[in-house]
Amino acid sequence: MNIGCRDLTVTVGGRVLVRVPELDVAAGETLAVLGPNGSGKSTLLRAIAHLGSARRTGTVLLDGRPAGTTDLRRAVAAVLQRPVLQRASVFDNAAAGLRLRGVSRAEARRRAWPWLAALGVEHLAGRDARGLSGGEAQRVAIARALAVAPGVLLLDEPFTGLDATTRADLLADLRAALDGQPAAVLLVTHDREEARALARRTALLVGGELRQLGTTDEVLDAPADLECASLLGFTTQLPPAVTGREATLIARPQHCRPLAAGEPAPAEAVVVDGVLRRVVPLGGAIRLDVEVPGASVTSVTTVEVDAAPGDVVRIAINAGDLRSANGERLR
Amino acid sequence: MDVLGEGLLEAVRLLLTGAEDTWAITGLTLRVSLAATLIAFLLGVPAGAALALGRFRGRRVLLAVANTGMGMPPVVVGLFVTVLLWRGGPLGALGLLYTPTAMVVAQAAIATPVVVALTATALQQVDPDFLPQMRGLGATRARALGALLREARLPLLAAGMAGFGAVVSEVGAAQMVGGNLAGETRVLTTAAVLATSRGQFALAIAFGLVLLAIAFTVNLVVTLAQQRHAVRR
Repeated sequence: MNIGCRDLTVTVGGRVLVRVPELDVAAGETLAVLGPNGSGKSTLLRAIAHLGSARRTGTVLLDGRPAGTTDLRRAVAAVLQRPVLQRASVFDNAAAGLRLRGVSRAEARRRAWPWLAALGVEHLAGRDARGLSGGEAQRVAIARALAVAPGVLLLDEPFTGLDATTRADLLADLRAALDGQPAAVLLVTHDREEARALARRTALLVGGELRQLGTTDEVLDAPADLECASLLGFTTQLPPAVTGREATLIARPQHCRPLAAGEPAPAEAVVVDGVLRRVVPLGGAIRLDVEVPGASVTSVTTVEVDAAPGDVVRIAINAGDLRSANGERLR
Repeated sequence: MDVLGEGLLEAVRLLLTGAEDTWAITGLTLRVSLAATLIAFLLGVPAGAALALGRFRGRRVLLAVANTGMGMPPVVVGLFVTVLLWRGGPLGALGLLYTPTAMVVAQAAIATPVVVALTATALQQVDPDFLPQMRGLGATRARALGALLREARLPLLAAGMAGFGAVVSEVGAAQMVGGNLAGETRVLTTAAVLATSRGQFALAIAFGLVLLAIAFTVNLVVTLAQQRHAVRR
């Protein structure tokens, strides 16, 4: 089943929170809506599912036809940011989506069981859901949504609040669970790596508006403008006055390498001089904030740096790692 | 101490011999209080849910009214119901004053604000995303609401217990609208008051003990029902 929206606007207290002219997710496809906190991602997800009481205008489409709330209830299963489980066993929670759709308890349990297994929580089936850890609860919530075999699956930051290991495991299990599913999946996330791992296409939402839409690699590696670049981690931004090039150039901090004293500038690299303002140990790497007049330069490196705040440092960025501010690679 | 000891012995004797009056009074007490609690539950849960979940002007004021109603003196309720049912009153034609029905009405009026206020609190304590999540799994509005009530079943049962406790133990309204007529509207509380006023302390204590036993039994049954679905953590 395909889902989409046209001219979808969500207004709260007279303020427009989300305005999306057009967005489509095809059957079997996972689309990530990526954006910073407060960009309206969850609001958009809830508006598409007709959840909540916010005022919305526009149309939600299912298979190209305008869909009402009843159609969406049948088609959609949503996993909200915090796993909201019922006061019941894990097994009954996994079956709850089906039960809410009128399926008998025995049938619901029969259909939910494979999803508990797929998400790796079948051994918890008899446990009280209130005693689960965050990761376990989120797995049950995802199993509950998948068990209804939805035409559309909406995932609202399902990895939020999980530790790194749990998150990585769940990410892998979710990827495996989604593979081969006919559902259109809309994943809301603020994490670029989650988008890269799960979604073929990504929409970048900033201030309630879609700023970029394309394949995930395109969106993540070729931001449309400087604001998108900042949000996508291109924290080094060099205007023409600094580089002598025609456009502002951008780069990720891990591609900005401090040069040792006397080290020649690599060929095909842009080198800028600046004053080291701050050195932040990141555990295995260090972050250097460098002041360059009219520009912002941040470097994250594992190389030992023999400089202190106030010293002049030289930062080199390989041409291949630079983008122009409109997302184009340097030639 | 003699009075207490005699009271206990008398209570045991009354219960064991099954004196007809005692059982009749106990039966009426249970019928009136359970009927009043049931009515309060049927009225109070939807009203409490509306106050907890609704978005309408005056909601907070109504919540405050319900909370105030929790502390309503039974005598005041009894007074209003008496005036309503008085022969020349608005509902006097019904001829309900000094009948068990009038007692049920008065006690339901006492218990309903308790159930409303505690229901609203119970539902507001459930995760605010509970309803959207149930809807997001495909539930109709009615099914989602049913799931919410199930989720809050323990505090809702507690609301019912609180309502029952408020009415089974009250004496003012029962006395005023029931009249404490022997064999007709005499319940344990009014019987205990009468026995005390006559200096029949042993009998009064016996009624008091039966009242306690009823309250305990009803609460025990509800508590066990509450815990029935407990699952291993």
